[in-house]
Amino acid sequence: MEITQAGTAAVADEDLVASEYLTFTLGSEEYAIDILKVQEIRGYEPPTLIANAPPFIKGVINLRGIIVPIVDLRIKFNLAQVEYTPFTVVIILNVANRVIGAVVDSVSDVISMTPQQVRPAPDFSASFDTKYILGLATVENRMLIVIDIAQLMTSRDMELMDAAD
Amino acid sequence: MAIDMSQFYQVFFEESAEHLATMESLLLGLDVGNPDPEELNAIFRAAHSIKGSAGTFGFTDLSETTHILENLLDRIRKQELELRADMVDAFLEAGDLLKSMLAAHQGQGAVDGAVAEALRQRLRRLSAGGEVPVAPPVTAADPPPVAPPVAPPGIRVFDIQFVPTAASAAGDGVTHFVDDLKRLGTLAVHGKPDPGGDQVGFWHLRLTTEAGQDAFEEQLDFIADAGAWRIALDTSCDADGAQAFGLFDGSPGTPEDEAGYGFFDPPARVVEDDSFGFFEPLPTHPAPPKLVVIEADEAYGLFEPVAAKHEPVSGAQNEEAEGYGFFVPLPAAPAAGSEAPVAGQVVEEGDGFGFFVPVSPAVPVQPAPVATAVTGVQKESPTPQPMPRESATKPRAAASAPAASDSSIRVSVEKVDQLINLVGELVITQAMLQQCAIQLQDSAPERLVSGLAQLERNTRDLQESVMSIRMLPISFVFSRFPRVVRDLSGKLGKQVELRTSGETTELDKSLIERITDPLTHLIRNSLDHGIESPEKRVAAGKSPVGTITLKAYHQGGNIVIEVGDDGAGLNRQKILAKARERGLQVSEQMSDGDVFNLIFEAGFSTADQVTDVSGRGVGMDVVRRNIQAMGGRVDIESMAGIGTRMTVRLPLTLAILDGMSVAVGDHTYILPLASVVESLQPKEGDIKTLSNLARVIQVRGEYLPVVVLRELFNLEGAVADFTQGIMVILEADGSKAALFVDALVGQHQVVIKSLEANYRRVPCVSGATIMGDGHVALILDVSALAGRAKSNLPKAA
Repeated sequence: MEITQAGTAAVADEDLVASEYLTFTLGSEEYAIDILKVQEIRGYEPPTLIANAPPFIKGVINLRGIIVPIVDLRIKFNLAQVEYTPFTVVIILNVANRVIGAVVDSVSDVISMTPQQVRPAPDFSASFDTKYILGLATVENRMLIVIDIAQLMTSRDMELMDAAD
Repeated sequence: MAIDMSQFYQVFFEESAEHLATMESLLLGLDVGNPDPEELNAIFRAAHSIKGSAGTFGFTDLSETTHILENLLDRIRKQELELRADMVDAFLEAGDLLKSMLAAHQGQGAVDGAVAEALRQRLRRLSAGGEVPVAPPVTAADPPPVAPPVAPPGIRVFDIQFVPTAASAAGDGVTHFVDDLKRLGTLAVHGKPDPGGDQVGFWHLRLTTEAGQDAFEEQLDFIADAGAWRIALDTSCDADGAQAFGLFDGSPGTPEDEAGYGFFDPPARVVEDDSFGFFEPLPTHPAPPKLVVIEADEAYGLFEPVAAKHEPVSGAQNEEAEGYGFFVPLPAAPAAGSEAPVAGQVVEEGDGFGFFVPVSPAVPVQPAPVATAVTGVQKESPTPQPMPRESATKPRAAASAPAASDSSIRVSVEKVDQLINLVGELVITQAMLQQCAIQLQDSAPERLVSGLAQLERNTRDLQESVMSIRMLPISFVFSRFPRVVRDLSGKLGKQVELRTSGETTELDKSLIERITDPLTHLIRNSLDHGIESPEKRVAAGKSPVGTITLKAYHQGGNIVIEVGDDGAGLNRQKILAKARERGLQVSEQMSDGDVFNLIFEAGFSTADQVTDVSGRGVGMDVVRRNIQAMGGRVDIESMAGIGTRMTVRLPLTLAILDGMSVAVGDHTYILPLASVVESLQPKEGDIKTLSNLARVIQVRGEYLPVVVLRELFNLEGAVADFTQGIMVILEADGSKAALFVDALVGQHQVVIKSLEANYRRVPCVSGATIMGDGHVALILDVSALAGRAKSNLPKAA
């Protein structure tokens, strides 16, 4: 396979290890996150509103006895169209010993990529802070935005944690 | 294949700690004079188990020490040796040593080898049976500070002290009480509050009557708060100059109906004060009386020296520096020499108070070899109790502890919590099914409906039993205090009796763990600052034996733990002076409650001297912080000269809350039921504004700030018209506020879930819970709401 051929002496061994990524769509963009951070995927159900929370925090839901906050990434990433359909899904993430739900338009695939396939993203000051982007990857002519979901979710702008944390 | 033993270390540490705790509670409860063979066996088994497992794991220091301990125990068990109080002390110390060894093996601290060796030597000597302590010199150096009077048969003198409640003082309660007492017998008023004004103040009465205490006790209880009154059967009154000495030879054969208190009742007369027993001398016995002495580190009690020809024993020393206790010279025993009779069996008891009872082997009525100490306040206990201070708690604790440890398994708390979560889910699923069946209405098959009804019952039972796993009786905490009090009172030279009640009151395990330290501190504080030294107590007309009461009970949705003492009480002036010294804002007009609360300030201590017990001013602030962190609060009540009572209020559990659900728009919120005072529907014009900003509502003559939940949380679709909604009056931290909501929905027991675990703190929300339909509802933080209402007002005004 192409991957094994790329494994020349110049490349460190760890670069050869393929990781699995979950891909999902937000509007027209396709994103990929490390699948080891994903706990489960479930349908969207209206959460309990939290007063005076930022708009992208939809509220909290009951996930088998634990209270899980729900973040709508579409609102956070300023997508134009945010609607809740029967296909709207919530990816339950397990990052930094916390359980957080992220609302996305749809979940598409689980793919395997080596770190080599992930190219650095061009530095542009878009609305979305590039510091959470690990890079861009091309798989079957689709561009995937690979994001560091753990860092994104624990970042201060997500307002998911107490300032003291 | 070699087995890695270290994986079992933790189990061994836990088990050994449990065995040691069992051993200690048994030892403290042990009747030295007449040990129960079963208890001895249980102690032996505990030591043996530790020895066995310590050997297996290769902890030689532990197994060596327990081996020696076991040898001694074995000999006592087989009745080759007689159990003595000094042995009990040695056992307790050995227990401490083992504990520190265990801690050292767990990497906490180190054990002083010399101390360990010294103790082992001591145990060996005891085991060899040689060491019989030499009788300490007994003396009659001090004349009795109080002369026991002669009371005619049947006539008793009661010393009655009380502070009436404001209500009874304002009414005729006190007057009627005094009148009633006058009818019962002769009443002398020794102290009463200043006439005029309210009559709330300290009363001191003395009643000479033939009637029993129960004739007026109830009435007194009615007019004064529990703990604010004291009745003592007093013999130390002015009774016509009668002298103590006269009593012993003067009134032989006096009917003595107080024999039940554990006094030895030989032919002569026994006198007892409200907290002492008097010895029963045998004045006419020809042989030198043999003394059985309970000797204490800071021996107090009544020393019954044997005197020759009405003379105090010459040359004898009072080794007790603080010299309290009544020394009653024994009237002439014909053959008694000045020193000879003192030689006798001496039983040493840590810091007990003991009485020296001359025992003559020739007198058959003397059944037990050990004198029984009695505190007169324990009037309800009719049987002789050798260790009265601990008698209130120990036997029960000792009886329950082994049973509890024998039939329990060790389960991690996470597993229990997981179980609770799963059961919670089950309840929600069951509610969902129920909902479906209701929607089917009549078309639902009979069997489905009855099956669902049964499921509901079963799930509810299951939920209750799962919840109860986390609940533990508070005796787990209380059982350690007898030892704390015993050790500390010995160190401070005070005589303290610890009385506990309500040990079976259950509360959540997490609370049990966290309440231990604050309670220990409160008790140490009471011991150090509250209870006065015995001389001071006697001078103040109190029994030299102080009492610390530890009480637990349920009240509403709370568990209340009271730590009370009958000591000097807090000194208001001293606290105020100290506060000024520290630059705190204080004034003479502050209420007692506010002044007393100052002692919870960091670094605040009124102790003149820093002792190793307290006085550094750290502690009380930590106590309050810890208790508040548990969602509880601590209050102080104190009366100078009467005592102090600290009341700790805690929620029953951190996990469950009695809640009232309210609706605002489409949202449901939970209010802790404990803070809901009432709810009412406002009428037109009830809501007034201050400076057009803050709104207030008048409820029963009080103007309360109004908090509108809809505005606070920016909720849409909620009722805006005040007359269409409901005002819920809340009270928290002493301040009240009216919360405006759309409607009251119902009352539930809710399981508190943390929002912070996966999210963060939300203002005015203390947590979340899962409702019957699986939805999340937020629990409102009433103190934050009330605080918000308060802070709004000055801003607007």
